[in-house]
Amino acid sequence: MSVDAGTVTGRRAPERAQVGDLLRRLAETLGIVAIAGALLLAFGLTSSQFLLSGNIRNIFVQISVVGVAAIGETLVMLAGGLDLSVGSVVLLSEVICADLTATHHLPLSVALLAALGAAGGIGLLNGVLVAVIGIEPILATLGTLLVAAGLAKLILGLRYLQVDHPVFNDLAVTNVLFNLPIMVAVMLGLYVVVSIAMRVTPFGRMVYAVGGNRRAARLSGLSLVGVTIAVYVVAGVLSGIAGFLNVAQIGLVSQNDGMGLEFQAIIAALVGGLSVTSGGVGRVERTLLGALIVGMMTNYQTIKGIDPAFQQAFLGGLLLAAVLADRLLRGRQ
Amino acid sequence: MSAIRRRLFAKSYIDTWFLLLMTAALLVAFRVVQPGWLNGHTVQNLVIQNTPLALVAMAMTFSIISRYIDLSPGSMIALSGVVIGLVYTAQGSLALAIAAGVGTAIGAGLLNGFLVAGLGLNAIMVTLAAFIWARGLSIGANQGNPIDVGSGLGTVVNASWHGLTLTAPVVIGAYVGGWLLLSRTKMGRYTYAMGGDPTAARRAGINTALYTILIFLLMGAMIGVSAVITVGQLGSAQPTAGLGLELDAIIAVVIGGTRLAGGEGVVGRTALGVIFLSILNSGLLNLGLTDAYFQLYRGLALLAVLSVQIIVRRVTDEEERRKREQEQLSAALATA
Repeated sequence: MSVDAGTVTGRRAPERAQVGDLLRRLAETLGIVAIAGALLLAFGLTSSQFLLSGNIRNIFVQISVVGVAAIGETLVMLAGGLDLSVGSVVLLSEVICADLTATHHLPLSVALLAALGAAGGIGLLNGVLVAVIGIEPILATLGTLLVAAGLAKLILGLRYLQVDHPVFNDLAVTNVLFNLPIMVAVMLGLYVVVSIAMRVTPFGRMVYAVGGNRRAARLSGLSLVGVTIAVYVVAGVLSGIAGFLNVAQIGLVSQNDGMGLEFQAIIAALVGGLSVTSGGVGRVERTLLGALIVGMMTNYQTIKGIDPAFQQAFLGGLLLAAVLADRLLRGRQ
Repeated sequence: MSAIRRRLFAKSYIDTWFLLLMTAALLVAFRVVQPGWLNGHTVQNLVIQNTPLALVAMAMTFSIISRYIDLSPGSMIALSGVVIGLVYTAQGSLALAIAAGVGTAIGAGLLNGFLVAGLGLNAIMVTLAAFIWARGLSIGANQGNPIDVGSGLGTVVNASWHGLTLTAPVVIGAYVGGWLLLSRTKMGRYTYAMGGDPTAARRAGINTALYTILIFLLMGAMIGVSAVITVGQLGSAQPTAGLGLELDAIIAVVIGGTRLAGGEGVVGRTALGVIFLSILNSGLLNLGLTDAYFQLYRGLALLAVLSVQIIVRRVTDEEERRKREQEQLSAALATA
């Protein structure tokens, strides 16, 4: 139900309102870029290792899994929902992919398709539970979190699965962009594709419409059920892809993979400036900046030898700062 | 007699009857699968193990009715417990340690309440941040190791009379208190008003900031008590205590028939939700399942209950609507 201040005043004074609107949008985008730049500068000045090209590569590799998962989370949140099943779907995708290639020796393409199918299936289940049955997203996706994690652990048992397929090695090792490996290029590519898709395709406009004003969207003939289901399926598939990247990065699949990843994805989206006060406000590409900021902070703290537990505490503080910034920039609910 | 019957089977009680039916079905199912499961000992264990869930769910009822869902309780129970452990280790005084632990919980409630009511931040996101930072602090405080607090607190918390520990009267007291607070006081009425329509509540002259903070303080108090009980039961402060408790509490409230959209709900129904959820958890655990099957069954059971609940509700709403239309139609025909 958000009413954009720019469009309301726009009726009376188009030129001034357009300028104001443009400035506010610039502030939103440049603000997050400026924060990322300031952090880069501050960390670079206080640590001799931070700006080394090897470390920059590390940061990108470290954020690629959560970065891809966060694209899906951003879409779901833009449509006014929430997806807590992200971490479990990542685990499920990893386990299916690893089990089919390593244990059953099936070709990689079959394994990837099966894993993506399962991930999309959980997304479909989310969409049906939320849109058709009408369970609140937070509860529905909590249920599928348990189901997906249960299924994954059922297949995995108490094993560790080692995956040394050459394709996965390539993903993590072979450099394509400057000195960044393929998996980072995959993440960046997905951001480019989804960002453009959200701007130019009907799907993108529908997601914004449904998140911004459900009633208006329904009255103008959009299928709320269809759009909601589609968004959750896309989010599921993206989590599945994030699972592949995690296999590539670690080379090992174990029970606790992906645990809590949904919260990291939500934080990346929020730090990137997704509005929590109203659905339908936010940009996919800014989530990448959010993930980068989180990644830089984590990396810097690790260099400085800070206990991971306290890094988590700082992350909570960062989330509060992001929510506060959203409040200052966009006003009260 | 018929008046009582009409009242008992009124539409607003459909949720309650449905939940009682599900609970009975669950009990029968577990009983069939494992005949020795349900006895006096199980009931005692249910109460002892689920005291924190019950206390937090009571306060969560207020949070959900007022639309200020609180995700922080699980992590805050751990943090308050760790504070109890740290102060006890440093000072050696149990009273001081408990005061510090409960103070931490109430202080965090005050902080969350201020961020939501004073600065106008989104409650889910503020408490999600607390969920993350409080867990980080409690794990970091002692490198993830439990902190021993001796047996002093345990002798009080675990003291039992005919097998009933002190926790049972605490839970009953909290629910009676919560019921009175919600149905008989100004705070209760304002809780409904704020959840029903926040803007209308503010315009009606309700000091929404004050009552929002009070709701977070109530949660803080329940977290404090839960932390003391958890530490007492184990004899040590565990940094991983209360993992996932907040989501269980929300599920208990919603299964009890309170809607996440806010503005309605009753403490008594939350009690039923807690009973259902504790039986489900305990029964599944007692089957000796692996972690995989436990999660899978739990997830499927929760999704099934939530789905059926909504479908039942939709069907009764539809009947109600049709009946009303019929009456309106016959009334219109009569006047014509």
